Amino acid sequence: MSRTAVDALEILNFLHHEAHLLDAGKFNAWLELLTDDIRYRVPVRVTREREHGPGIIDHMSHYEEDRYSLEMRIKRLETEAAWAEDPPSRTRHFVTNVRVEPIDDRHVRVYSNLLLFRSRGDSPNFDLLSAERVDVLRRTDGGWKLAAREVVLDVSTVPTHNLAILF
Amino acid sequence: MTIYAQSRSGGEGTHLLEEARRQLAVGELPGAIYHDPEIFELEMEKIFARAWVYLAHESEIPNAGDYVVRYIGRDSFILIRDENGNVRAHFNMCRHRGMQVCRSEMGNASHFRCPYHGWTYRNDGTLVGVPAGKEAYGDRLNKEAWGLIPIPRLDQYNGMIFGSLDPKAPSLDEWLGDMKWYLDLFTRRSAAGLEVIGAPHRWMIDADWKLGADNFVGDAYHTLMTHRSMVELGLAPRDPQFAMYGEHVHIPGKGHGLGMIGAPPNIPLPPFWGYPEEIVRSLKENYPSEAHVRVAEKLNFVHGTVFPNLSILNVMIGRDHVHPPTPMLTFRLWHPIAPGKMEVWSWFLVEKDAPEWFKEQSRLTYLRTFGTSGVFEQDDAEMWRGITRAAGGEMARRNRMNYQMGMDHLAPDPNWPGPGVAYPLDYAEANQRNFYARWLEMLEA
Repeated sequence: MSRTAVDALEILNFLHHEAHLLDAGKFNAWLELLTDDIRYRVPVRVTREREHGPGIIDHMSHYEEDRYSLEMRIKRLETEAAWAEDPPSRTRHFVTNVRVEPIDDRHVRVYSNLLLFRSRGDSPNFDLLSAERVDVLRRTDGGWKLAAREVVLDVSTVPTHNLAILF
Repeated sequence: MTIYAQSRSGGEGTHLLEEARRQLAVGELPGAIYHDPEIFELEMEKIFARAWVYLAHESEIPNAGDYVVRYIGRDSFILIRDENGNVRAHFNMCRHRGMQVCRSEMGNASHFRCPYHGWTYRNDGTLVGVPAGKEAYGDRLNKEAWGLIPIPRLDQYNGMIFGSLDPKAPSLDEWLGDMKWYLDLFTRRSAAGLEVIGAPHRWMIDADWKLGADNFVGDAYHTLMTHRSMVELGLAPRDPQFAMYGEHVHIPGKGHGLGMIGAPPNIPLPPFWGYPEEIVRSLKENYPSEAHVRVAEKLNFVHGTVFPNLSILNVMIGRDHVHPPTPMLTFRLWHPIAPGKMEVWSWFLVEKDAPEWFKEQSRLTYLRTFGTSGVFEQDDAEMWRGITRAAGGEMARRNRMNYQMGMDHLAPDPNWPGPGVAYPLDYAEANQRNFYARWLEMLEA
């Protein structure tokens, strides 16, 4: 296989593995997949007319994280008082429509669609969040790592009661 | 309204209210008030159609033509600054066939043109264009009489814009009453005033709106359990009871209340919430009285609710488990949607003239702790939806919830320099009792 084809397969495996770790609650293993300078952002969106573009708000986000804050969120889940996710939500990350775009020798930009299913407690109701993810992956000695992620939600008003889950 | 008529003639809603009235006198309330369709309808009619409800901060619409769409109860309003700089709120419904004339959440517009038949309104609400007007209406249509319907009442306090659907509502000044003294603490730290950064977070919680208002009006007690993870990680002071050490203040007859919390014993915290020196200097110059400065000097964590559904949080907390805490300010609205369902609107605000580095740190602190993904906020939502689910059945009608904290054993603080009734310990529920007394009074009026 060509180098590009190998890369594409590795990247697809990376995204699927990462989704598995999040759904399996293996959050520390997920943290291992992030670079130390990770930038993780989920901007707020508002409804605007078509001429004004996608309505992404530059200065307010649902998530705007670095390594420290993501670690804090995972450490929190390890306390005995993270009520919002204990008992945990059942989540499923469906990752599709993957497109890879080279940036330089070490980096690729990866676009994917995400459908995130969330169920809590014994209620048969569930929440669905749909989004486009734009990731930057970095090739390191330890394999591919996530260096940046922007998650563009397909909603303005968030339909789930909190974002105690990761995209 | 039919449902209301039913309640008047002795439906479940009225029965629950009578029960609530009896119980509140001894510091109790029936659990079902948090999930009852008739109570919800009564709240829509008796509270949200009559109260002053928070709409926006003036900084969200700084220029002529800037607008945001906001709600009171089920009604949508275009809040806009017209070409003369006046803030107006137009009911978002065309005068011809009722279509929403504005379908975006925010923007800038000189006119609104209805997409159904094209009636066009200037941003001051005046009807200025009717397609084929001459042919369709002859001389019959008096455009001046058919402008967008203005909100019955609109007023502001220190940049906080409120509206009311009741033309006979008391003035906003009277509605806020002594709460203004406390609002000054947050809104008058700088002559430049506050600004909203970005746009509000909006999300749905399958929980009753009163639970948010109740939590912020006086519930310092929940922090020791609900937010224990934050104490363990050091985002809050490492004393689980830290929120006890404050004044518990309510404005009698109005429903408003706050908790004004300082440093816990043996954990030194900086004065004035830990705001940077520029803001501390500025608040000393701008506060309306010496008493404000004296009170603010000892503050680190302030929570409060303006009746019915606006809450304010001004606290110094960590943005992660590594960096020192930063002060941040948020306004949030517990917007009722349906029985057992609310939409949260949450804004981050900061002094316009604060140093840029501080604005950025304060913003990050807000969004990681009290926004949609906030690590404090998450656990509150879990509690409120659990309560709401439990409150929807038969047994909740019989469950007398305990609102007695501080009753009998706490005496008002004679040395408190601010208005209202203050108790020297924030582990109390006088504010909640005052909130529900006002709630009952409006529902029964």
